[in-house]
Amino acid sequence: MNPTLPAERRHSMPTRLRATARSEWVKLWSVRSAPTVLAATALVIVAGAFVLCSGYRSGWASMSASEQAAFDPTFTSLRGIELAQMLIGALGVLAVTSEHGTGLIRATLAATPQRAQLLTVKGLVLGAVVWALSTASSFAAFTAGRHLLTGPVPHASLDDPGVLRAVLGGGLYLTLIALFGTALGALTRSTPLGLTTLFGVLLVLPLTAGLLPGDLTDTILPYLPGEAGSQIWHVKPPSPHSLTPWHGLSLLTLYVAASAAAVLTLHRKRDA
Amino acid sequence: MTPTDPPAAHRPHATPPRATPLARGRAVLTSEWIKLRSLRSLWTTALTGFTASVGLSLLVCSSYRSRWHHLGAQARAHFHPTDTGLGFLQITALFFGALGALAVTTEYGTGQIHGTLMATPQRPLVLAAKTLLLFVLGSALALATVSAAFLLGQSRLTGTMPHASLTDPGAAHAVLGGALYLTLTGLLGLFLGTLVRSTAIALSTLLGLFTILPVLVDDLPKSPAWRHTVPYLPSNLGLSLWHSHIGFLVRPAPAAGTLALYVLVAAAAALTLLRTRDG
Amino acid sequence: MIEAQGLTKRYGRKAAVSGLDFRVEPGRVTGFLGPNGAGKSTTMRMILGLDLPTSGTVTVNGRRYQGTVWPLHQIGALLDARAVHPGRSAYNHLHSLAAANGIPRSRVEAVLDQVGLTPVARKRAGGFSLGMAQRLGIAGALLGDPGILLFDEPVNGLDPDGILWIRTLMRSLAAEGRTVLVSSHLMSEMALTADHLLVIGQGRLLADTPLNELIARDAANRVEVRAVDHHRLADDLRTLGGDITLKPDGTLLVTGLDSASVGELAAARGHVLHQLRDVTSSLEDAYFRLTENSVVYRTPVPA
Repeated sequence: MNPTLPAERRHSMPTRLRATARSEWVKLWSVRSAPTVLAATALVIVAGAFVLCSGYRSGWASMSASEQAAFDPTFTSLRGIELAQMLIGALGVLAVTSEHGTGLIRATLAATPQRAQLLTVKGLVLGAVVWALSTASSFAAFTAGRHLLTGPVPHASLDDPGVLRAVLGGGLYLTLIALFGTALGALTRSTPLGLTTLFGVLLVLPLTAGLLPGDLTDTILPYLPGEAGSQIWHVKPPSPHSLTPWHGLSLLTLYVAASAAAVLTLHRKRDA
Repeated sequence: MTPTDPPAAHRPHATPPRATPLARGRAVLTSEWIKLRSLRSLWTTALTGFTASVGLSLLVCSSYRSRWHHLGAQARAHFHPTDTGLGFLQITALFFGALGALAVTTEYGTGQIHGTLMATPQRPLVLAAKTLLLFVLGSALALATVSAAFLLGQSRLTGTMPHASLTDPGAAHAVLGGALYLTLTGLLGLFLGTLVRSTAIALSTLLGLFTILPVLVDDLPKSPAWRHTVPYLPSNLGLSLWHSHIGFLVRPAPAAGTLALYVLVAAAAALTLLRTRDG
Repeated sequence: MIEAQGLTKRYGRKAAVSGLDFRVEPGRVTGFLGPNGAGKSTTMRMILGLDLPTSGTVTVNGRRYQGTVWPLHQIGALLDARAVHPGRSAYNHLHSLAAANGIPRSRVEAVLDQVGLTPVARKRAGGFSLGMAQRLGIAGALLGDPGILLFDEPVNGLDPDGILWIRTLMRSLAAEGRTVLVSSHLMSEMALTADHLLVIGQGRLLADTPLNELIARDAANRVEVRAVDHHRLADDLRTLGGDITLKPDGTLLVTGLDSASVGELAAARGHVLHQLRDVTSSLEDAYFRLTENSVVYRTPVPA
């Protein structure tokens, strides 16, 4: 801490942080888009479980033995996350860029001139909200899947190895995606640019990797942020080349940390 | 301050053209063309889409060329130069959807739409002009992008590798089908943009519809319900138009018809909303 | 001429504008006054066919705006000066509007010249200052050389030179026989610019009157009087039907009586007067008294 700061300022750091957190909390909930996007996220995760699980139940008999053996009931129940990540990532981007777009950022910075602190608190508040919501949604989706996968279709229970980790992992994954979006928003400071970058990394890169010859796909795909992080909510690895769940999640964390570090470095040098 | 003398009635020096439907239509078309050509984000998107498609095609084909001897016999037997060579279309489609959406959402985003509707209160005419321009320019751009990317990609498939040329009927159909897919996707983007009026929402919806939804549902067991729905997703109809190998696909002609039907439905919805809602 | 009959706009159950009847006549500047949220912008958007009335009609030269083939030749409007794509040049912006109504390029150059934007015509509109954006908006309104002009808060954010320029422009447009409707919440500016006023509050028409009459009517029968025994004078004036307010310094503000009747009463009852004068009124006074009961967003007055 800067030694020239007055003593009282140093002592009031926790107060300062709490005030910033409260301000970010109010901003998050008072904009209509955030609650809408969060509600849509929960809906998409749970609806995904309904659609996919009932699809497998009705078509189970037509699947080959190898397809049946590869079936991962937990992953299938949680797969709505693939759609939800777009909403959550976009929410992260917009949490920053909407302030730049409307000029609110000047008011925000006037109230809290410590930019690094501001962004950190913004990320923490958004991350906490997203974590709570998406963890709850993951459990709801898992429970829905548990009730839909009946008859000959195998289902998972939370006691089975890896299942609890996967369900909790759904919340962790979406939280990291929200933070990734926030960092990209702060880097680009523009809604279209931020969203394009986010969707480019999460959707277009894996699509591109998939176009390459098989062995190149296997070398590149597992290390892309989305693919690496999503291993945490798989119980059966989707390919022999996939990273392990915790390695994958660590790699996604590393990507997020790197983009956050880039933001904090740049923020010192840029004008608002 | 009340004027003492009643003022002379205003005599305009500019006289309006004759009010024939043809003159009206031409005026709107000119106006939309001026707006379109002075919108830099559209040209950037078009140019990026073109470059990305060509680059991607070169990347994919070159890597197949360089890995050819490492590929197993089965992979080699399954290699289809046109299907692989046109794989970039999955990503190019996103650019076209974005182009269509941007052509209208930028107007809403900036408030420019007020000026547009004040100058042409006949709102269906505005949408018709945008549609016509996007169709003409979009199909030209689509054809240029698909053929350039396809030909450059195939030029990398040398040596013992199988490769395709535009004189192969299959390849020519696939290239034309791909261009049609891109054009219709652009129109879908335009009408979707008109419906939601927001760049962010329109682009997210397009991405969800064209890239995530198919990934989620393509792998589901092929039950009768699946056969009646999943192949009719816009992206899968697109595959029908340019891809040869996938068994579940709809035949190209009905696929093109269905895709065109989606575009018409979206157009009708956009038109209805545009007419009845506040500008 | 603009004519509204029973013009009503509802958003859900809330009426933004209800039952407006008015005519905006040519040859004068008509000021459109009202507090924020009174329905001024909604009314203007309905005149221009941007918002569709819930009921009632509004016509421009006898036709609905949406039924006008070449509207810019009849009516030009400045609604929001910033409603221009920031990446487009001023020239291209105007050119696209002109083309939509068959207006030649020469006219684009003429209006750019008229508003003084010719030197920056090829620059991105996004880089314009508010004053320049306002001029670009006015250029757009003038494109079709229309007989009717609408300006929504045209002097917002302008410097004194810009304000004077717009005031002169509006007066000269009206002097040429055009219909000019200008909304504003700046009273002093309105007092200098407008000949006639439309005042609305909470979506209803409160006044449709010449500016001078509104002020004169407000000032009539308001008298200030100082007397040695102001309590007795107040009682006497009340018996005559006056409405009395006692100011802290002992001055009585009398409403409802003119200075002649106050003077006569004072002489008849033997009051010693130190001062008797008519109260002059400004547009601001008149406006506040008119909209007192219809202000939608109002700052609470400290007790």
